[in-house]
Amino acid sequence: MALSTGRSNGGGATVAQRLQKELMDMMTHPTEGITAFPDDENMTKWTATIEGPDDTPYAKLTFKLSMEFASTYPYTAPTVMFKTPIYHPNVDFSGRICLDILKDKWSAIYNINAVLLSLQSLLGEPNNASPLNGEAADLWEKDFPEFQRKVTARHKAPEELDAGDI
Amino acid sequence: MYDDENLAELQKLSNEYEPEVTGPLVGERQSSSAITTEYENADPVYRVKTAVLPTKYAYFRTCRGDGHCGWRAVAFTYFETLIRVADVNKFEDEEVRLASMHNLLNLKGFQPDIYMDWAEEAFDLLRKLGNSMSNMDGDAPDILLAAFNDVGISLAIMTYFKIIASAWMQSNPSHFEPFLHMPLKAYCSQNVEAANCEMDSIAVVALAEAIIKPVGFGIQVLYLDRSEGTEINDTYHVEPTALDGLPFQEPPTMRLLYRPGHFDILYKAEDFPPPIQHPVPAQPPLHVALAGYTDDFLPVSSNMSDVMTMIPGMYPTGLGQRWPEVSYDYHTSPTSQSQCTPVQTYASAPTPAVSVASSHQEYATSVHGSHSSHHHAPSQHTIHLEPAVTLPIHPPPRPPPLTIERAQPMSVERSGPFRSSLYELEPGYGNAPLQTMPFQTSIFRNSHYNTAHFLNPDFQPEEWSPDSEYTHNRGRDKSASQ
Repeated sequence: MALSTGRSNGGGATVAQRLQKELMDMMTHPTEGITAFPDDENMTKWTATIEGPDDTPYAKLTFKLSMEFASTYPYTAPTVMFKTPIYHPNVDFSGRICLDILKDKWSAIYNINAVLLSLQSLLGEPNNASPLNGEAADLWEKDFPEFQRKVTARHKAPEELDAGDI
Repeated sequence: MYDDENLAELQKLSNEYEPEVTGPLVGERQSSSAITTEYENADPVYRVKTAVLPTKYAYFRTCRGDGHCGWRAVAFTYFETLIRVADVNKFEDEEVRLASMHNLLNLKGFQPDIYMDWAEEAFDLLRKLGNSMSNMDGDAPDILLAAFNDVGISLAIMTYFKIIASAWMQSNPSHFEPFLHMPLKAYCSQNVEAANCEMDSIAVVALAEAIIKPVGFGIQVLYLDRSEGTEINDTYHVEPTALDGLPFQEPPTMRLLYRPGHFDILYKAEDFPPPIQHPVPAQPPLHVALAGYTDDFLPVSSNMSDVMTMIPGMYPTGLGQRWPEVSYDYHTSPTSQSQCTPVQTYASAPTPAVSVASSHQEYATSVHGSHSSHHHAPSQHTIHLEPAVTLPIHPPPRPPPLTIERAQPMSVERSGPFRSSLYELEPGYGNAPLQTMPFQTSIFRNSHYNTAHFLNPDFQPEEWSPDSEYTHNRGRDKSASQ
């Protein structure tokens, strides 16, 4: 069910138009600690970064993410993955994220900025009740220094990533 | 029979099962007897309920069951009812009114650059429909159906309605919080704003308060399930109120059919054809619809209920179904007081002659019956109605000619319970010139210039006299059986 028609011919606004608007908005009103930019002209794939919030094990670390928008966006959630390896209770080792607003609680009122802000706050406030990484959830509760050590050990700076597997 | 592994496998399949959603997003309007057919082989409760359904709700329209059906049904019927009302200005008014709610959206943290896309789709559609209505090109229903079968447009409009509902709930927390099992904000984001959430009953209330009632529409949700009863349940019904707080008379009503987990749209027969195609002044349709009603035994038509609801103690639902019994009941009570012997035979047993009697006659008595049940002195308000014109021309013993019988449906129904037999006046006919002017025609009788018409400022009901009535009725019976 593609949202095909453009507004010019009387149909709904296309995904590209909506994303274009979001891009403009993010460029004119940048949010600190968050960036996002489309990979190419057709706008359906973006690369984003978020900085770890202060006073969390992720402080001063930068994480790269990929975002992919279906033709039904914004009525369906974008597919978001961590590209930077991250040790977090709600992210698995391939970067998949368990966050309700990216699943059944997605609403068309969210945008890229809102998603990235939610992910940023997820870093400091993991949902340990439904972990993808059970060990991380366990350590967060019981052995915070060890958790901190594992976060730092797993992290790679974006430059290292680029030099490595890409 | 199955081992654990098989069961687990089946359970997994069952969990993952999603019924294939097919059909148009919003279907064409069709006869609701299709619902009856659908349940032909179903549970008896369903069979009974759906068998009755088409008599009350003649048409229905399907919505695709993709989880958006409730929102879609409300949004679609909102626009469709605007078309039905056929007030060209209303389309502009609604755009202005909806736009004025954007303050509320902003206040509750919705971002204009996000919701304006959706608002524009809704406004676009309002303008297109408004243009079509003012051009009288008759395209509006097709434009609407096409728009709602476009995934992008319909999702945009549904989402717009969702956030208005959400903002409304958050602005009126006291109306909603008592019914929620979680904080209002969380409820709204999960059950109203979420892209994939079915419309629940609380959301219907929010939509009714925020969007439907202010435009002057009512909304009714009819529930078809296996609960006891012979009809679908009227689970939710709100009607708009005017600025003075009084309810509108017969507001245009949006009707949804709810079957567990799914919404479709229902219509009454009188919802169509839309008034724009048959523009008629207030009075004439009255005759047409009423004559149709008595002849065909159709359920209450809107035109009739317009008038009938103005009559104190009258309510349309009582009319359609109960009249036969009521009319017999009614006849027995006056006869007991009556001194006429012929009356006894007429009333004590509903003889074939009575049932053969023409439909307008029966109808007339029914009007009296439901009316009398609300009054202490029913006998004073009755009707056995003969057009006034017959009085001077035809004295009671003579059966009125056929032509006058034909004219009766109109005068009888229009006159309602306030029009009584004029034969009562016989003894002192000349002494009561007020109500029985000899130059009365049946048209005059129906007009509000007649003091016996309930709309006349000097309204003076005619009175009923059992004696003359039954004398007269014998004459009528004869003529009816001819």
